[in-house]
Amino acid sequence: MSTPEKQSKTARILIVLVLAVLATAAGIWSASIILDRRVNLEELEAIRFPVARQLPPFELVDHNNQVFNEDALRGRWSFLFFGYTHCPDVCPTTLSVLNSVAHRLQDLEADIRFVFVSVDPERDTPEVLARYVGYFNGDFIGVTGTEQQIAQFTRELGIMHMRVAAEENTSDYLVDHSASVLLIDPDGRYHAVFSPPLAAGKISDDFRKILEAYR
Amino acid sequence: MKTRSASILVALLAFLCLYSSAHAAATLEITHPWIREAPPSSRVLAAYLSINNPGDAAITINGISSPDFESAELHRTVINEGVASMQHVKQLDVPANGGVMLEPGGLHLMLFNPKRMLAAGDTVTLTIHVINGTCITVSAPVVRQVDDGHSQHHH
Repeated sequence: MSTPEKQSKTARILIVLVLAVLATAAGIWSASIILDRRVNLEELEAIRFPVARQLPPFELVDHNNQVFNEDALRGRWSFLFFGYTHCPDVCPTTLSVLNSVAHRLQDLEADIRFVFVSVDPERDTPEVLARYVGYFNGDFIGVTGTEQQIAQFTRELGIMHMRVAAEENTSDYLVDHSASVLLIDPDGRYHAVFSPPLAAGKISDDFRKILEAYR
Repeated sequence: MKTRSASILVALLAFLCLYSSAHAAATLEITHPWIREAPPSSRVLAAYLSINNPGDAAITINGISSPDFESAELHRTVINEGVASMQHVKQLDVPANGGVMLEPGGLHLMLFNPKRMLAAGDTVTLTIHVINGTCITVSAPVVRQVDDGHSQHHH
């Protein structure tokens, strides 16, 4: 073969090789984008229920003395936490963490609410709750009711609470209670649960994944 | 004015505690005490601090008191299978050459019925009572704490 012919053959081989490499690279790149779009729910630290359970009707009252029932849980995501205002450690810490979660999720266009449900309706009246939740975040909702209404609501959600007698002063009793944060979806269904130890970063990241999978 | 009389009170209590511990071998070191600021109408507040025992013998704490509250107790938050409960700790051993941390989610001082409204910036006096009859008094600031939860330890 003469030199010019050899050169053009080499050039053709080179062009084919380069095109092949580019095609492979393009294939890998677009495949990785498609794979990234699928939310990996196995990475969740929260427990997301395979079947989200519809909550039956209930009636409670919020810190503004307005009715708080199943309608209040529709059309928005709700983070529910159960506690009481005489709790010095777990409840203030958790509400502070949830306030951090609220700030972290501010960029989302989703309608999200944070609800503090009292397991001590005897002492936690709407007025007491208004002062309490307002301290942590002006948008937080405090919810209470009669002993019976609270008992029914907590039972439905598998939330445990039990009064513990104080040793000296009977008005200073404590209440044992579930420390998990529950997630209710815009259809009013119990969608997921975040178990302690609670961290704002983990909760926010998990919620974003749950939201993505819900759409 | 409030700060000055609080300082005098702390000094007095510290003197009384030191006087009674003149014969004690070693005393506990209390550092970083703080009170979590609570919503204005709260009747129960939490205090946290670090305790160090530089001595060669374990030291047992058997009481807490504060002139700023009607009563005070040492409690431990326990979360068992997702349920939080509070255990009244009547005696706490601080190991020799060791320490104990009181922090959110674990051991804490439970302070009942504040005698005045407390807000961030105020100072509270806390006295830790030791089983040998001595005590340690510290001043703790009321702090508005922001919790993210990522640095919590669990005992």
